Amino acid sequence: MKNIRSGITFGIIGGMLTFLFGGWSVAIIGSLMGVGLGMGISGKLERKEPLKIILAVLPTALVAAVILVLLSLYQNNFVQHAIGKRPAADKIVLYGNLIGFFGTILFTTLLAALHGLPEKQEQKWRMVLLTLLVIAFPFVDKLTALRWTAQIIFALIFVILGLGLNIVVGYAGLLDLGYAAFFAIGAYTTGILSSPQHGIFMNFWLVIWIAAAMAAIWGFMLGAPTLPLRGDYLAIVTLGFGEIVPVLFKNLIDVTIKEPFTCWILPGLLKLFGAQTTMACITLMEHEDLTAGEKGISPIGRPYLPFIGEFKSSDPIPWYFLIIAIIILSVFIIRRLRDSRLGRSWMAIREDELAAAQMGIDPVKTKLAAFAMGATFSGFAGAFYAAYIAGIFPSVFDFSASIIILCVVILGGIGNINGVIVGGLVIMTADRLFLPALKDFLASLLTHTVLPSISDPVVQLAVKDNANPILYRFLLFGLTLVIMMAVRPEGLIPNAQVRAELHPDETPAIEVETPTSKKAKKG
Amino acid sequence: MLELKDVHTYYGNIHALKGISLKVNDGEIVTLIGSNGAGKSTTLRTIQGLNKPRSGSIVLDGVELHKLPAHEIATLGVAQSPEGRMIFPRMTVMENLEMGAYVRKDLTSFKDDIEHVFSLFPRLKERITQKGGTLSGGEQQMLAMGRALMAKPKILLLDEPSMGLAPLLVELIFDIIKKLNEEGTTILLVEQNALMALSIAHRGYVLQTGEIILSDSAKNLKNDEMVQKSYLGVE
Repeated sequence: MKNIRSGITFGIIGGMLTFLFGGWSVAIIGSLMGVGLGMGISGKLERKEPLKIILAVLPTALVAAVILVLLSLYQNNFVQHAIGKRPAADKIVLYGNLIGFFGTILFTTLLAALHGLPEKQEQKWRMVLLTLLVIAFPFVDKLTALRWTAQIIFALIFVILGLGLNIVVGYAGLLDLGYAAFFAIGAYTTGILSSPQHGIFMNFWLVIWIAAAMAAIWGFMLGAPTLPLRGDYLAIVTLGFGEIVPVLFKNLIDVTIKEPFTCWILPGLLKLFGAQTTMACITLMEHEDLTAGEKGISPIGRPYLPFIGEFKSSDPIPWYFLIIAIIILSVFIIRRLRDSRLGRSWMAIREDELAAAQMGIDPVKTKLAAFAMGATFSGFAGAFYAAYIAGIFPSVFDFSASIIILCVVILGGIGNINGVIVGGLVIMTADRLFLPALKDFLASLLTHTVLPSISDPVVQLAVKDNANPILYRFLLFGLTLVIMMAVRPEGLIPNAQVRAELHPDETPAIEVETPTSKKAKKG
Repeated sequence: MLELKDVHTYYGNIHALKGISLKVNDGEIVTLIGSNGAGKSTTLRTIQGLNKPRSGSIVLDGVELHKLPAHEIATLGVAQSPEGRMIFPRMTVMENLEMGAYVRKDLTSFKDDIEHVFSLFPRLKERITQKGGTLSGGEQQMLAMGRALMAKPKILLLDEPSMGLAPLLVELIFDIIKKLNEEGTTILLVEQNALMALSIAHRGYVLQTGEIILSDSAKNLKNDEMVQKSYLGVE
């Protein structure tokens, strides 16, 4: 019964989403919904033969699919009229809904049926299936002309940022409110090293590593002064860094660095003894318009690959696969780090710094490593972002960016890699896809329904201007955070440890597999 | 093996240790007894490097500990089962024990050591996947001791191992301390339960307001009139 209820919920949410996007969207929404529904309910099922599971979840899948298609048809026949748009072509409606219907059923039953396999196999096949979906997505998106890929890429950038911040906040327990600073450092490094504005034009594949290294170095340097601080005090200092860095980039316009010995010390000494100085002053660096202030750096060099050529802004597919590759690399590295000695010391420091020191863990090194490693990944993200947008502006990296990244981590589940990935996708697709679509939808709906009946032009304008959900995005972020903290403080996909702490009565002792415990068990 | 010479430690302006000198020889159990606030725990914290002495020296096998930070002292073979236990609450029992072995370079005998800890504290084996924070007080004490043992320390510092435990458990813990010593671990034991401590220790020091007022063999201390009156409750 509970499953049927989730089926209904999923169906309604999916159907409502077709209201916003229309056309082919029902096909993609149906398939994605099926994946979500299948994975969501499979956890609650008993492990039995796959066929029996399919029979058990079939009603749920059917309910979700029917609701989705009904709502989608309603959208096409009535809602489109209401918002003054023509219904989609019959062919699109027919095939879109058919694919949506069977996609929902297929993916729901398939993912639920995987639960019938032993756990290791289930995870393996689930990964295979998700990988196929990830690969297929941009091509399906291109075929159906929905143009979601370009926006999904932004979500994926925030996934990397979330993964990096998760090291600092989730693993080492150091609350960093200025994480966007490292994002900015990565992006500006890329901008300065590969923009025609400066005459330096380095290859993107080199620059991305330099950007990551720069971010790591600055993570190290900005981490150092915070070492004696804990808790709230640390958060306040990082907040300061988060404010300083974008301001610095905004004002780092004309830069001259002179060699101090020949420019000031020697002439000063000579003057002291009354000698005339005609010595040449050595200028180490002189640069006009280094970051170009508010105007930002643009254009920025793009990656180039044989066979594919230079990545273009008109074709998001190569970018999509590039960022997916960066994410896979990051997840791989972060997993290894988490299970390493260093990962253990992060967790020990998070739990109890004094006890950790007694175990022989150097708190200074451990914390600096967390800051540096966390910053590295935002360096990757920054380099990719700069190249993808082909321009960088200081306002992108302000405090709100840090908060959004923190939201990604909190919403997904502090300390959990999968959680952070889901968190990033949810928050950024909501921000980039859902809200703009909702804005268009509301605007056309109002133009055709409410607005003509308002006689006062002032009121009419006020309604029109304020019915824009993008204006309220921070309100929505805030609300999401408040609701999450009240209802599910451990995040969407929680870390086992955090969940155990927040709901000690609900969860039985969870077995946390660690490399050594595995070995110990075998032996 | 471990020698403190005229150690002075301060908390801000509070003069907590006023020139402590003591010595622990290889293979001994040495106990520090004294009332609340006498400076027993501070002495252990100072040895461990959690508090830095303002003057004096602490030497372990020729290495000057007072010049080193806490984590380096740990790598030299000083392990503490701290007061209040300080286990890692969100890590499992197994992970806590693994953290104990963090300082060791050589992990070939890791499995045997874990088994050894479990043979001393069978209770921990039953709780192997449970979070440290969900253990009972006695179990946490066992975990703190087990974790300290996992470091294979040269010297084990035990801070109030009997605190807050039921009488039966106290006896068990003291039996284990004795057993550990017989296996060759040098132990510096801080206890309020002076009677228990003196019954297993070889030598003892009596602390009062940051100073050592008496030091002798455990047997003599047990028979000392002043000790009996002040710490053993004998009228």
